[in-house]
Amino acid sequence: MTADFLLYGVINTLCVVLISPLFVSLVKKVKAWSQGRQGPSVFQTYYTLAKLLKKEVIYSRNASWIMRITPWACISAILVASLFVPLVVVTEPVGGIGNIILFLYLLVLARFFMALSGLDAGSAFGGMGSSREMSISAVIEPTTIIVFAALAFVFKSLNLIDMVTVAAAAGIPVSPTLILIGISLFIILIVETSRIPVDNPETHLELTMIHEGMILEQSGRNLALMELSAAIKQTLLMALLINLLIPWGLATTFSFAAIAVALCLFAAKGAILALVIGLFESSMSKMRFFRLPSLFMMAFFFSTLTIIIEVFA
Amino acid sequence: MTDSVFFDGIIKILFVCVIITAAYIITTKNLITLVRVYALQSLTLVCIALALYWYEGAAILLAIALITLVFKVIVIPYFITTVQEKIRIKRDIEFHFLSPTSSLLLSLGLMLLVYITLSRIFQDTLAKGSIGTPLFFGAVIGISLVLMGMMVTFSRKKAITKVLGYLSMENGVLLFGLFATELPFIIEFLIIIDLVILILLTTILTVGIDSTLEEYHNRLHRFYLWEEQEEAP
Repeated sequence: MTADFLLYGVINTLCVVLISPLFVSLVKKVKAWSQGRQGPSVFQTYYTLAKLLKKEVIYSRNASWIMRITPWACISAILVASLFVPLVVVTEPVGGIGNIILFLYLLVLARFFMALSGLDAGSAFGGMGSSREMSISAVIEPTTIIVFAALAFVFKSLNLIDMVTVAAAAGIPVSPTLILIGISLFIILIVETSRIPVDNPETHLELTMIHEGMILEQSGRNLALMELSAAIKQTLLMALLINLLIPWGLATTFSFAAIAVALCLFAAKGAILALVIGLFESSMSKMRFFRLPSLFMMAFFFSTLTIIIEVFA
Repeated sequence: MTDSVFFDGIIKILFVCVIITAAYIITTKNLITLVRVYALQSLTLVCIALALYWYEGAAILLAIALITLVFKVIVIPYFITTVQEKIRIKRDIEFHFLSPTSSLLLSLGLMLLVYITLSRIFQDTLAKGSIGTPLFFGAVIGISLVLMGMMVTFSRKKAITKVLGYLSMENGVLLFGLFATELPFIIEFLIIIDLVILILLTTILTVGIDSTLEEYHNRLHRFYLWEEQEEAP
């Protein structure tokens, strides 16, 4: 492991941990605005996390060791995955870091533990949430893999860091077909972060909750870790979309000025994307569960089309 | 050289836009959105015609762009929207034979099929190199758009969405005409389809825009506009 990569890891992890809660509350703020409310402050998620970290953890009487290790498994899987997506600066990848397939399976690992913990606490809601989450993830997974395969076709690489390096060197979208992939990635972002056509992140109504149902039994600092890992996951997918589609301004060297500029730009672009997500969420109603595959099919269609165009044209 | 690379990029982006609008026309259920998306698709075609004019300089392309802009971006969507404001029905959720999801899958297959078929026919164009590829791809997307429009026409139930399917088919013909040009037959075909649409629009606008074709027949019966009804008591 080179010193450069170590530096990259530190910078990337710090950025992702610090900026994720901001994006979560930004989306909430936009949604509040579109409903005519003032909404919580944009720093609210930081306060919530700080408060949760100080509270004691309570386990259900039925809970086993799975409940205890899940938050740590989730946060560590997601944090490792965060190394795969360069936020502000790119460098040479080391070892398997950056591999698309490993990236996907790290996200799935976190999701697997989350679903297990939902079942583990013995609450009916948790079981329902887990069952729904697993059905959705079984349907979305082929789509996700096709989308990432399309990315690999466009960039001729299986490594996310390499892809972002190519994009950053070009400064503009590398190929027009990236617009198509952008739509697919946006749909995946919506699905993976449990947003409105799929799941409603704000409700605790038994009929609708999926993600909330699974973390219902978590408390105290464990809940903080779960919330943080969900926020980081969202930021990672957002960063993927941003840094592949509008990569200009991304730092390619480790100079302080370049990184500072890249960080500001990333925050600005992320804020715009959060605005788009918020507006999208406000303009949609929640879909019926069995209607969801048609949404996934849209993503599948666009990414398969990309592959066709890239292979033939 | 940079000229042709730039042209290539612009045309590719516009193709992508056409495909996106086509996918929306297949799947969307909201009628107002449907008309807007159609207008957007026509606008994309105008942009493509303008880009071709900028590259080739043939005045006929400018004329095509102008006609498309006036009729398909402004007049037809305006007509449909004004009528739509007056009727109760805002969404089309009935589908024959194919659900939107399977239509999307099928259209993927169709595009692949069209590509393979046309690549046999257009070998000469492809051989021209960097200019040939976008021209060829335009032809492929044009024919695919025709087929996708056809799919909309038979998988939707409402008369108004069927008409939009026709209109999107006609866009496909136009696109094909733009890229595989100098075919008088294509122009003729275009005019004929235009006439069909005109007739459909006028009849449906007057009697049955908010109904399915079966209901429309019933209304015609009621108004004694249908031959067989004569014998009825």
